[in-house]
Amino acid sequence: MLDGLKDIIRKSSIHVCLVSTGGCNGCDIEVVALLSPRYDLEQYGIYVTNNPREADVVLITGAVTEQWRDKLKRVFAKVPDPKIVVAIGNCPLSGDVFNQEGGSVYAPVSEFIPVDAEVSGCPPRPSEILAAILGVGPDAIAAKGRQKV
Amino acid sequence: MSSVIWYIYEFARKSWAEKFAAAKTDSEIMEVPSRFRDFPEVRKEYCIACGACTAACPAPMAIKLVRSSDSAHEEGITYPVINNRGCIRCGFCAEVCPTDPKTLLCGENHLIREEFTILPVDKMFVIDDYLCIRCKKCLKACSQVAGAISEVDNKMVIDQSKCIGCGECIKNCPVKGAVKGIYINNVEEQKEIINLVVDTLEARIEAEQDKIKKLAPEEIYKIDFPINDLIKKAREIIPNDELIRDSIEKITDRLKMRILTWDDEKCNNCRLCTSECPSGALTYDKEKGVQRDADKCLRCSICYQTCPFGVAGFFIARFLLTDANIQNGMIQITLKPSQLPYRS
Amino acid sequence: MILPIGPVHPNLKEPLRLKLKTRGEKVLSAEIDYGYVHRGIERVMKGKTWQKGIYLSERVCGICSYIHTQTFAETFEKIAGERAPLRAQYLRVLTNELDRIQSHLLANSTYFKCIEHETLFMYMLYLREPVMDAIELLTGNRVNMGWNVVGGVKMDVNQSHLDSILKIILDLESEYDRYVEMFEHGPLVGLRSHDVGKLTREDAIKARAVGPIGRASGLNHDLREQHHTYRDNFDFNVIWRKDEDNYARTMNRFDEIKESIKLIKQVIENLPEGEVRKKVNIPAGYGEWRNEAPRGEVSYMIETNGNLIKNISIRTPSIMNIDACAKYMLKDVATVADAISTYASVDPCIACTERVVIVDESDNYREYAYPDYKLEYKDK
Repeated sequence: MLDGLKDIIRKSSIHVCLVSTGGCNGCDIEVVALLSPRYDLEQYGIYVTNNPREADVVLITGAVTEQWRDKLKRVFAKVPDPKIVVAIGNCPLSGDVFNQEGGSVYAPVSEFIPVDAEVSGCPPRPSEILAAILGVGPDAIAAKGRQKV
Repeated sequence: MSSVIWYIYEFARKSWAEKFAAAKTDSEIMEVPSRFRDFPEVRKEYCIACGACTAACPAPMAIKLVRSSDSAHEEGITYPVINNRGCIRCGFCAEVCPTDPKTLLCGENHLIREEFTILPVDKMFVIDDYLCIRCKKCLKACSQVAGAISEVDNKMVIDQSKCIGCGECIKNCPVKGAVKGIYINNVEEQKEIINLVVDTLEARIEAEQDKIKKLAPEEIYKIDFPINDLIKKAREIIPNDELIRDSIEKITDRLKMRILTWDDEKCNNCRLCTSECPSGALTYDKEKGVQRDADKCLRCSICYQTCPFGVAGFFIARFLLTDANIQNGMIQITLKPSQLPYRS
Repeated sequence: MILPIGPVHPNLKEPLRLKLKTRGEKVLSAEIDYGYVHRGIERVMKGKTWQKGIYLSERVCGICSYIHTQTFAETFEKIAGERAPLRAQYLRVLTNELDRIQSHLLANSTYFKCIEHETLFMYMLYLREPVMDAIELLTGNRVNMGWNVVGGVKMDVNQSHLDSILKIILDLESEYDRYVEMFEHGPLVGLRSHDVGKLTREDAIKARAVGPIGRASGLNHDLREQHHTYRDNFDFNVIWRKDEDNYARTMNRFDEIKESIKLIKQVIENLPEGEVRKKVNIPAGYGEWRNEAPRGEVSYMIETNGNLIKNISIRTPSIMNIDACAKYMLKDVATVADAISTYASVDPCIACTERVVIVDESDNYREYAYPDYKLEYKDK
């Protein structure tokens, strides 16, 4: 019974931390547009605070640049369990157009931290991000919470 | 207190209260306008495997051409495959696709069909009128691209504004060198490579002067020249292996080099040649005799035709690049004495 | 003590580190540490044709991505010595002004979030959504549009597109004044914004501030006046103010949105007939071009070799503006919260900023030299 109660609470109140590891910021703008009254992310109980220490979901945008290689692991270690990571946009998945000779990005981001879900596009439309978060988010957190460590 | 009253005045309107009571998410946020570019859709049956989409894509790992395997009934077909994680949804591949109807669909980009070429080509294809035999095999190979090759005045002509640079015409032409693909960028570097190759070959042949001088009129002399050193020096000019190999092949196909040898022992100082030499390369000095300045020499063969003792020897060299692989390539040099008439 | 406001912070959209030197709650001075977003775009663009380079130049910044492609295309057109056809120039103005409206609304909404006025934050985002719809209707994507090419624009518009855009703009105009008045006369918002973060006119000239930040400090200078399309075909006013604080910068952006609405109405009424794209033959050479981005002046310097890009250098406005903020505005600010809201009112766009900057020993930023450009400031 306690597990059922924990599931309900974990699914209905989700805190999100947005870490932008150096992309063009197109995907960050689309995430900010999700807070606008048209898409209204907060009606589903999702609250965007950029504080790693109270987050359940970590959103990664942007290709990993030179300075972020060690700092990304430190930020990820500060997030308390259970946590899931969602990679938004093409940059964390394959480096996009920057991953050619002369560019200084290290792709993909799954070399540094484990990734649970991905949304591809450059940038993905807010309705696509919304569909991905609602389809995957609450169930994944509840499932991770039920895992015995 | 005044700010609270002010804000209450702002919000206590009827329109606001109505909208608040009936608020819910519109379903039209999921609709997209017709110009919205989703990941491109591929229609396999129209693809002609020209490679324009792969050459035009700005993202490194977004698109590639694959060929399905042959089965008992039919051949495998070639078609492009798009990697969703790398594609930036720009729609450029749908614009440059030359088929009609188009293989790739993306937003409204596939409706763009400009009359001039928009693909970034780096090779320009021309037909050499002298070597072309008008068999029209290139015309048949290119027929799906809406008339880039046509026949005008009994000559085959390529329309540069429609050609997409796929190379099918070269593959089907039976004459080597009738269709040429010319690199239009890096012209200065190509000139330097040509100078380098010609100078190296000439130096190599002139190093064998002693053996060449003794060739009888019908004999042939062959040298095998490995090109490793040449490639290393050429890579310093421009590190593009394909361009280097292409340049060397084009040079060796058409080059006909004239070699002049000079045998001092036969000279009797009659000085008939010094007055005939057009560039002043032959001079007479009382102590040393007739001297030849190799830098001023034009290899025009007048001294060879004038000398009654056979001091000057005139030979023609032709070249052939044997291996297509640039690592083991060898240039075969063949030398023959010239058939021009001479006194003696 | 030194208080670091780190790369991941609730009020910052983009990673940058601000080090504030404080005594108690008062902020004495500040220092900026950046380099988190450097991707090496200029090095990637070397040796590519312009058809591929234009998709790369869009992704320098996601917020002001349209103006980068327009400047890139116009530099190439200048090297070739030609201009785009007239209908294409009008369409470029249309998209430019739509992009400017959405960028200013986003900048102001970030400022309101920083001063914790969530109502206006939501209102600005609510006003912004129809404008993004208009951009998507016209070009195919909300951000990173892929609309410009050397020689014009890619696709033509027909009357139904123009009618929809006009309807969206008229709806925006009819309810716009009410929201601006909430900020202009609201009592508590004024207390947080008046006389905070002052940048005097002499300091603005010393720091080379551009865009709305410079114009709010008395510098009457807008690059759109010198551009050939705006100069010959449209009339609009340059908006500038004399009080030099956060309030002036935000109000300056609000007024510029009104000018953009006026320009869009002029475009839709007077759109001429003709083709939208023509073929341009590009010789080898060097060219440079400047344009007015929503944040200031963006300039491209390109050296070409036929179709290929040999060397490219991009200068974006946020370099100068952030320098003006850190050195001149954040001196003797009353509280730490005011320092952060001052930084947000400068509208930083860090992804644009990451180029290689040469700092000489006396700790000043060295400016690139423009040989035949005279900086003229009209008198107050």
